[in-house]
Amino acid sequence: MKSALIIGITGQDGAYLARLLLEKGYAVAGTSRDAQMARTANLRLLGVADKVTLHSASPSDFRGLWQVIEKARPDEIYNLAGQSSVGLSFDQPLETFESVAVATLNILELLRLLGRPVRFYNACSSECFGHTPEPANEETPFKPRSPYAVAKAATCWAVANYREAYGLFACSGILFNHESPLRPTRFVTSKIVSTACRIAAGSGERLSLGNTDVVRDWGWAAEYVDAMWRMLQHPEPEDFVIATGRSHSLMEFTAQAFAAVGLNHADHVDTRPELLRPADIPVSKGDPSKARELLGWAASKDMPLVVKEMVRAEQERLRLQEKCS
Amino acid sequence: MSNKVALITGITGQDGAYLAELLLEKGYTVHGIKRRSSLFNTNRIDHIYQDPHVDNRRFILHYGDLTDSTNIINVIQKVQPDEVYNLAAQSHVAVSFETPEYTANCDALGTLRVLEAIRILGLAKKTRVYQASTSELYGLVQETPQTEKTPFYPRSPYAVAKLYGYWITVNYREAYGMYACNGILFNHESPLRGETFVTRKITRAMARIKLGLQDCLFLGNLDARRDWGHARDYVKMMWLMLQQDKPEDFVIATGVQHSVRQFVQAAAEELGIPVRFEGQGVDEKGYHAETGQCIVAVDPRYFRPTEVETLLGDPSNAREKLGWEPRITFKQMVAEMIQADLRDAERDSLCKTQGFRTYDFHE
Repeated sequence: MKSALIIGITGQDGAYLARLLLEKGYAVAGTSRDAQMARTANLRLLGVADKVTLHSASPSDFRGLWQVIEKARPDEIYNLAGQSSVGLSFDQPLETFESVAVATLNILELLRLLGRPVRFYNACSSECFGHTPEPANEETPFKPRSPYAVAKAATCWAVANYREAYGLFACSGILFNHESPLRPTRFVTSKIVSTACRIAAGSGERLSLGNTDVVRDWGWAAEYVDAMWRMLQHPEPEDFVIATGRSHSLMEFTAQAFAAVGLNHADHVDTRPELLRPADIPVSKGDPSKARELLGWAASKDMPLVVKEMVRAEQERLRLQEKCS
Repeated sequence: MSNKVALITGITGQDGAYLAELLLEKGYTVHGIKRRSSLFNTNRIDHIYQDPHVDNRRFILHYGDLTDSTNIINVIQKVQPDEVYNLAAQSHVAVSFETPEYTANCDALGTLRVLEAIRILGLAKKTRVYQASTSELYGLVQETPQTEKTPFYPRSPYAVAKLYGYWITVNYREAYGMYACNGILFNHESPLRGETFVTRKITRAMARIKLGLQDCLFLGNLDARRDWGHARDYVKMMWLMLQQDKPEDFVIATGVQHSVRQFVQAAAEELGIPVRFEGQGVDEKGYHAETGQCIVAVDPRYFRPTEVETLLGDPSNAREKLGWEPRITFKQMVAEMIQADLRDAERDSLCKTQGFRTYDFHE
């Protein structure tokens, strides 16, 4: 039986990946900074909380990580941990670097030190590309526009350097935005969906958004974790862009969400300049051709379907909440 | 004369020393941050040092470290600089493979700490920032020669950390409108270059071989090609980059390339040592053409896990906008380095003959 260690298992991607790997027969261990206090809501929601082993470890603590790897003895390590909000990274740039870049460096150093044939997946991000009016592929140079993106870009290069310098099986998935009902509401997509659902239920509130002209490629998180797994099954360690290949504006996303609950977004949305980021990316487009060709992976859900699924899940949640109260 | 105030991190290094001299000449008050050490580490700036008891000092040192946010914030608060030159770093590529986390802490986070200190102290509109970026960012070069538009491909923990420093500087410029810019400096050398960097290692060794203080010089990749300029020229460009209307990143280079082997030959020639290379790869050796003594050999321990084979800069943009014209040629630079190291070697030799102990300062 193969075993996998998911660093950052309690987040959106960690939970979906845990479920996928369990289905594939893996023994799955995961880390959280405090396993006893961990927010296991995502794992519980997917029904896998009891099936994974949780360890306490902060990825920015070398010694702690070492202990966990010794205990879990993984064949594959997935690093999904780290401060993941672009907006928050402007307020917490140092913590973002520590939790993203130092953490990745620690894992790479450990793999080098331990010398075991462990395969390593690093969660990189489309944010590294910055503004991409032409779809970005694996050859597109990085132009990061936030402390989050700069830290992620550093991890991508550190992974490439350790792969080339020491022959580690280490690769980065450059994932474009991927959503699900597990996204916390500080992410704009989740905020839009939950607000639209509440308005439809009669809350009478209004939705405030920053720049709605931004264009993004939104996919479905449950499919993206499959791409992570496929990367580690590929004979050679390589970096891959993971995207749907279809981009939409945030306004289109918003319109879709309101339409899904039978409303016209124009009646409920305000745009507020104070929600603008210090430096934003106007257009983000991805070209997932390489993943399609080499991994046989393609996204089946693009933005309209993603919105539909998110709205369905949110309405379900609201119904449950009502029943319980 | 200016009455501006500058703060230089890394003032005890090669570039810090030359830049401090330049800014003092221009009338600046110069503050520098140096790390505490049990060893004296100010020999490059001792000639401009001013005792704290002197009135109206224009050269002031502070203890500090880029790995300490509180210290950076305190010093910047106290100094209220018009210009900050962030030259401090763990700057050795080979050592970065052994101390990757420390390198990231100083070179990547250190840069962020400086930018963030300026921002939270409300100096974003006042203080201009120069970030010491590096040609090592190009690493496995994607095109030759390299310009400001060439994509990066870092090949060492040092370069990856500096890549973070580069982009976070761009990000603070774009996000907060700071006057912050990167100088992408290609290799720049001088008699003040750190003794463990390959150029200085060569000139020191050749001078000592000349005087019989050393037998053989061991090097890594002799085929590595670099664009070498003189640090005294390069610090002028740092200053100029902060005097423009708009902050912009610049490549600073000579546009001329030599191999490590050619550097050895130039150094030997300056000393009148005829050197002849024979053999291939790790077996390549350099012999004194007259005595037959092996004076240069390859030691694989100096190979890097990932090598940067070639770097060549295209300084057109700096030439056009900053009027960049390197004054000191490769040959002049090697000559200056050799003369300085020869004097040091002569002093050691003299001490030895008089019965005093001298130190070889091994790496």
